[in-house]
Amino acid sequence: GCAMLPRAPLHSALVPYKAKPSSPAQGEWVASTCQGCTQWCAIEIFAQNGRAVRVRGNQASKSNHGYVCPRGHMIPQQMYDPDRIKGPMKRTNPVKGRGIDPKFVPITWDEALDTVADKMIELRKAGETHKLVYLRGRYSSTSTELLYGTLPKVFGTPNYFSHSAICAEAEKMGPGLTQGFFGYRDYDLEKTNCLVAWGCDPLASNRMVPNAIHRVHEIAKRGTVIAVDPRLSNIGTKAHEWLPVNPGTDGALAGAMAHVLLTEGLWNRDFVGDFKDGRNQFVAGKAVDEAAFVEKETHGLVKWWNLELKDRTPAWAEKETLVPAAQIVRVARTMGKAAPKTVVWMGPGVAMNPRGTYAAMAVHALNGLLGSIDVEGGVWQSPTGPKLGSFPKADAYVDEQAKKAAANKKLDGRGAKDMPAMMGARPGSGVVTNNVANGMLKDPGAVKVMIASWANFNFSCTGADRWDKAMAKVPFFVHMVPNPSEMTQFADIVLPSTFNSAEGWSIITNMANGYAYAAIQQPTVKRLWDVKQEETEVMWLLAEKLKAKGFPNLFDYYSKEFKDPETGKAPATAMEFSAIATKMSSAPIWAAKEALPGDAPIKGWAEFRKKGMFSGARYPLKKNWGGKFATATKKFEFYSETLKKGLLEHAKKYETTPDDILAVSGYLARGELAFVPHYEAPKRHGSVQDYPFAFVDYKSRLNREGRSANLPWYQEFKKVDPGDVSWNDVVKMNPADGEKLGLKSGDTVRITSPAGAIVTQLRLWEGVRPGTVAKCYGQGHWAYGRVAAKDYAKAIPNGANNNELLVDDYDRLSGSTARNGGFTGVRVQKV
Amino acid sequence: MTRLGMVIDLSRCVGCGACAFACKAENNTRTRGSGQSYNWGDFLIRTEGRFPNVTHQVMPVMCNHCSDAPCVKECKAKPSPHKAMYKTPEGITMHDPALCIGCQRCQEVCPYSSEQLGMPSLDGSSYSVISFNYDDEPTQPEWADKKAAIPGCTASGAETAAKAGAPVPAMSQWTAGDLQPIRKDGVVEKCTFCYHRTLNGLQPACVEVCPSQARIFGDQDDPKSRISQVLASQKSFRLLEEKGTKPNVHYIGKYSPRA
Repeated sequence: GCAMLPRAPLHSALVPYKAKPSSPAQGEWVASTCQGCTQWCAIEIFAQNGRAVRVRGNQASKSNHGYVCPRGHMIPQQMYDPDRIKGPMKRTNPVKGRGIDPKFVPITWDEALDTVADKMIELRKAGETHKLVYLRGRYSSTSTELLYGTLPKVFGTPNYFSHSAICAEAEKMGPGLTQGFFGYRDYDLEKTNCLVAWGCDPLASNRMVPNAIHRVHEIAKRGTVIAVDPRLSNIGTKAHEWLPVNPGTDGALAGAMAHVLLTEGLWNRDFVGDFKDGRNQFVAGKAVDEAAFVEKETHGLVKWWNLELKDRTPAWAEKETLVPAAQIVRVARTMGKAAPKTVVWMGPGVAMNPRGTYAAMAVHALNGLLGSIDVEGGVWQSPTGPKLGSFPKADAYVDEQAKKAAANKKLDGRGAKDMPAMMGARPGSGVVTNNVANGMLKDPGAVKVMIASWANFNFSCTGADRWDKAMAKVPFFVHMVPNPSEMTQFADIVLPSTFNSAEGWSIITNMANGYAYAAIQQPTVKRLWDVKQEETEVMWLLAEKLKAKGFPNLFDYYSKEFKDPETGKAPATAMEFSAIATKMSSAPIWAAKEALPGDAPIKGWAEFRKKGMFSGARYPLKKNWGGKFATATKKFEFYSETLKKGLLEHAKKYETTPDDILAVSGYLARGELAFVPHYEAPKRHGSVQDYPFAFVDYKSRLNREGRSANLPWYQEFKKVDPGDVSWNDVVKMNPADGEKLGLKSGDTVRITSPAGAIVTQLRLWEGVRPGTVAKCYGQGHWAYGRVAAKDYAKAIPNGANNNELLVDDYDRLSGSTARNGGFTGVRVQKV
Repeated sequence: MTRLGMVIDLSRCVGCGACAFACKAENNTRTRGSGQSYNWGDFLIRTEGRFPNVTHQVMPVMCNHCSDAPCVKECKAKPSPHKAMYKTPEGITMHDPALCIGCQRCQEVCPYSSEQLGMPSLDGSSYSVISFNYDDEPTQPEWADKKAAIPGCTASGAETAAKAGAPVPAMSQWTAGDLQPIRKDGVVEKCTFCYHRTLNGLQPACVEVCPSQARIFGDQDDPKSRISQVLASQKSFRLLEEKGTKPNVHYIGKYSPRA
């Protein structure tokens, strides 16, 4: 009708016109390193007029292929977070507690550091330097050496603790106690034909995210992707098989898979060996004569079978794991047929629970059976990267007082009878981060001065309210942090940190895709605020203050021992110290006399700054075959002599037996079973009757180490975590359970555990197992900023923090904090 | 003729969000508000089936740069020389805010947009590729805000922007004659296929950053281009093809191997 009439014919609207000229943004890509997760990707930041604009992977990176995951793209937002602290502040309200306004006022760096130095000098004078506690929340070569490694040593305290044990440390026990590698594995995804992502979501977290995203579709196309996780994760959405295991029963599932691989003759003979007569004697329920089997690269296969596997039938496992026996058999066969190019990628979901060491061993041991260790398409240990320059020794600056004080007992209780914390199979060697709060509560006089950098344990540790109580009692607390976090609310002095990906100096090392690398962090853009990098600039200035007040050792060490590798010049300012430390750390790369294995030689500091990274040689296949594993037997141990040695050593210290140690540490195994990978029924806080749901905690693909909830983009795209809702922090429940309880999506619910209660919104979603509820970690901030918190001034959280719900417990063999495996029971009620 | 288009391989896509972030960074799009997402790139998300037979699928969505674009046909701005919403010789559905009268008719007639987004857009059930900047409202409110969390101690949006020296601190400051890096009030905005990049030999931001290289951008009329070869050899589909708008964004592959 009339719409057609007076106007020109419709089609004329589509006659093209040329757009007026345009041009893309002008600027330069500056190399740096993302620390948004523990992959620590080498990146480049696009800088325009001194501003950070965009981010990409370092184009030379063999580990991320020149791409970053979504985390990297949030770097400019984090850099320009309007809630960043502009300069030092001090507390004017002496009362401390959650929700109590510290009444911070701005002060100068001079006043701030004078105050800190005075408090430290008081400890020196009183002979109480061990009452200084340092807590670390981020790593780098410089922070490890110059702060974590130096301040406690020179000043004199044994009480310095890293955050590592609250994250994923327990998983290291799997490869550690079987193949002597207490570290994160690499995977040859380029050649893998069967990827089993178990208790982790490589497309979202657990390191090497860009490499996993780059490769998974190829594996899916040529082979099989399998996901084991009680909730539908990202890798679960891309998998041919999803095994929604009953939380905490991963050891049973792994045992049944091993049972199938053995009874069906699908183990890898090159790695494991074979029966002397070539006839498979692994028959369900029947013990095997150890002498009948000749092993190659492994140790104790038949012992493992006899002690654990012979009765672990798929039918038995179905009852524990709730995964159908038929699916267990089908998946095990797929894994066996693709072996040795089958990767079992085990993550914290398996291991970070009160009996997690054994689950980690059980799942990782499958790689041994499949022969995927160190082969093409398999599971690798860390490749060797360029060696970093070491810093001069501080020993000459450690006085008698400091030496004596350092011999005091550590506050985290590591090495106690019920806390073997045997990382590296050395009892008492692992940090027990979350236990520090318990130590502080037990002995309120133990801490007089606390310094923390980037740590936010009041938010990031389970049993979070313990940290609120413990921190309220610390007489003097100094927090070095970019945003006013939960922990900052307890601070007496706040020293604003640089945001190191864009503003700091350091060298960061890591590996993925067969290559280990070192990458630079350098000031890529203009600093907007009066902030300083904690391990270099702040330490330098603090050391200067301490010297002025009568304790020169720290400043003398920093100022006399450090020399610019190019000019030989000693640092004269905090900024020079920062840059020189970074140059010293990286000098073996750019000042190498002979070409290093790996990338093309880098000639000089300027070229290194420009390129930003150096990758070493590709991982050599079969590196540890032929008796070169770092275990007690030098073999891959299905019967862990390595664990046995460690446990015996720990038992001896307390003049008791390994059985007694295991009993007091909460494990179920006794006797020989303790030395093989095996299933331990999950420990659960809260009875099924009172707390019917097992709580499933997991990580967001947008969590920049728990520091991005204040960024609008995090909130806007929260929906990219499967089942989640943007600008919300929903707990997910299966619709069948919702129907039973009369609950529906959008209801506000209270989730209660034996440790506490949180209130948030419910979403009914089919991606969770009935009998469990799943919720992403990362929100529920009552501080940090005005996006992360609903009302920063009133300390009202936005969403709810899982750590207020999760019970403070440990995998005591590793010292790791429990957060997975459904170890906390909860009930869900409508508010 | 040139006919720019994009193919998104759903078998490669893992729904990570990197494309949407890069788009926001490149085009300086503001944070959601007033029923507008300002996400030129976004996601359609769907969970189907009953436990344990569940699939979850993500589909990146954006302006389809339709060959028969309702937003262009129905644009109410007086053509001088062209409408506010117009087609370029390369096939880009382009917008000129100088001509836009802010009638929101384009949002109304675009099958992939709506004038107001409700709650369903927060879980990926709905989206809008065209957003509107309401009259007399700041178009970058985060950076106009003068309040501080801890007065005197923490920054504010406005102070951060002033210190950084740009209206948006991380602003990608490209130059353009039509659509500017930051929009004014009273006009709509949407994806331009990163025309300031693509007409100068670069890839669109969303294509450049995709860690699984799920996106292919190019000229569908050039038989030698990768996009036309992929479209010739693989089964593809477009969103709401039945609407007859002839979208130039195509999808290949399956997101979930179980679907």
